Amino acid sequence: MKMTQLALTAICAISATVVMADKKATDTSPAEDLKVYRDYFNKRFPGIPLNEFGNGVYAIDKVSRDSWEAIEEFPPYEPMIEAGEAMWNKPFANGKSFASCFGNSPAQRKNYPHWDAKRKMVVTMELAINDCLEANGEKPLGYNKGKIADLAAYMAYQSRGQKIDVQIPNDPDALAAYNDGKAFYFARRGQLNFSCASCHMESAGMHVRTDTLSPALGHASGWPVYRSKWGELGTLHRRFGGCNEQVRAKKFKPQGKEYRNLEYFLAHMSNGIEYNGPSSRK
Amino acid sequence: MKKILLSAALVAIALSFGGCAKHEMKESAAPAGDTTKQAYENAIAAAKSEQKKAAAVGGEWRDTGKMIKSAEEAAAAGDYGMAKGLADKAAAQGRLGQEQAASQVNAGNPSYLY
Amino acid sequence: MRKTASFATTAVSLAALFAGASMMPTAAGAADADTIKYGKEVAFDRKKGNCLSCHMIADGESPGDLGPPLIAMKARFPDREKLRAQIWDPMIANPGTRMPPFGKYQALSGKEIDAIVDYLYTL
Repeated sequence: MKMTQLALTAICAISATVVMADKKATDTSPAEDLKVYRDYFNKRFPGIPLNEFGNGVYAIDKVSRDSWEAIEEFPPYEPMIEAGEAMWNKPFANGKSFASCFGNSPAQRKNYPHWDAKRKMVVTMELAINDCLEANGEKPLGYNKGKIADLAAYMAYQSRGQKIDVQIPNDPDALAAYNDGKAFYFARRGQLNFSCASCHMESAGMHVRTDTLSPALGHASGWPVYRSKWGELGTLHRRFGGCNEQVRAKKFKPQGKEYRNLEYFLAHMSNGIEYNGPSSRK
Repeated sequence: MKKILLSAALVAIALSFGGCAKHEMKESAAPAGDTTKQAYENAIAAAKSEQKKAAAVGGEWRDTGKMIKSAEEAAAAGDYGMAKGLADKAAAQGRLGQEQAASQVNAGNPSYLY
Repeated sequence: MRKTASFATTAVSLAALFAGASMMPTAAGAADADTIKYGKEVAFDRKKGNCLSCHMIADGESPGDLGPPLIAMKARFPDREKLRAQIWDPMIANPGTRMPPFGKYQALSGKEIDAIVDYLYTL
């Protein structure tokens, strides 16, 4: 009798350790997360080198890759890179230019997003662009598309090959921002009750109708993106808004706290992958 | 044949109970079908309040604002029945969005990642 | 298979007849074929059930594969209420599911879900 009970207890204990429960955002550190996500995607898509994930769905979908490579030979975003370069070179009314805000180099991708300890917030490249404009008495730009995407395309193009290297400094506020982005990523949302992870982690590589769902890993590398569906360039936060609306949630403001923290989390996940924006997507 | 009838009857019973779950939806206090202006005004105030509460917890749904706008348009056109119906729907969305957000406050790495 | 399908249709039509008086908004004895047709329309409509985005269904074009193929539904869900509940709020049976709670979150009405169940029982 006693033996049976003991055995039962042992079995229960074993099964308790085998069946993992969902974790809270604060339960795991950024470093642990990085390993967990890497391992998960390596297992799901064996043999795909880390940097390949920067190509989004084309890293895992051979069929659409061919036409994508053909598009990238004569990229639709080329005129926007040129328009962005002209913006970079054009002096503001006060005689200064963007170079004065960005250490004279447009190759800034590797520096964003980052935690700004003084402002106690995540600063993205688009936010820094508008900060620069306002600091120089110029009107800020809309965050989703148009001129800001042009300039970001030029800056990203000049930064190609730099690696994503998002740091979460030892600062409780920075960690809170990261965890906030993580919680956003895994929280179900909208009338259809999907989280970002429902599609881009749990279902990566599967199909919604004929569309292959791209893996979360690498999602932060190629912005701004020329989407065939848009017929123009758009920023990462524009895409966030589109995703939220697809699950029938109200989208959040581009460059608001929610999306900046989300970008912080998402970009950190892709550390080590090269920035390869601008890029084209279906 | 006997078997078919029996299962048909069972299905029928199931069907007639099928409506039960529908009542899980919370309705606003005013009785349905009330087409007075006052009932609409109560409903639209409730809808806006629930929408605001949902937004405050990051749980607002995409179409809630559109429903409220449509309700206001219907009311402006004098169709208080339709307007109240839309306002009730919007209020229900607001409540569900709050409920959903509350259920997700502990979101983090799901077990399938391990 | 054919036999199962016709059996299901008979059962459903009888059921609709029995239930007509109590809950069907349409006139009692309304053609069950119409209900099934309506159920299929709601299931395929991208703004309604949009079931094809995740499930393979009979003659539906370009199905997704997040969920299992919708085949032999009567055999898999002998209890009609369980199938209905699965569409109403699948998280009750499986908290981790990706399937939206169509009824609970009011993406579909009770009547629409009933019609979808009628349609699914023909698969």
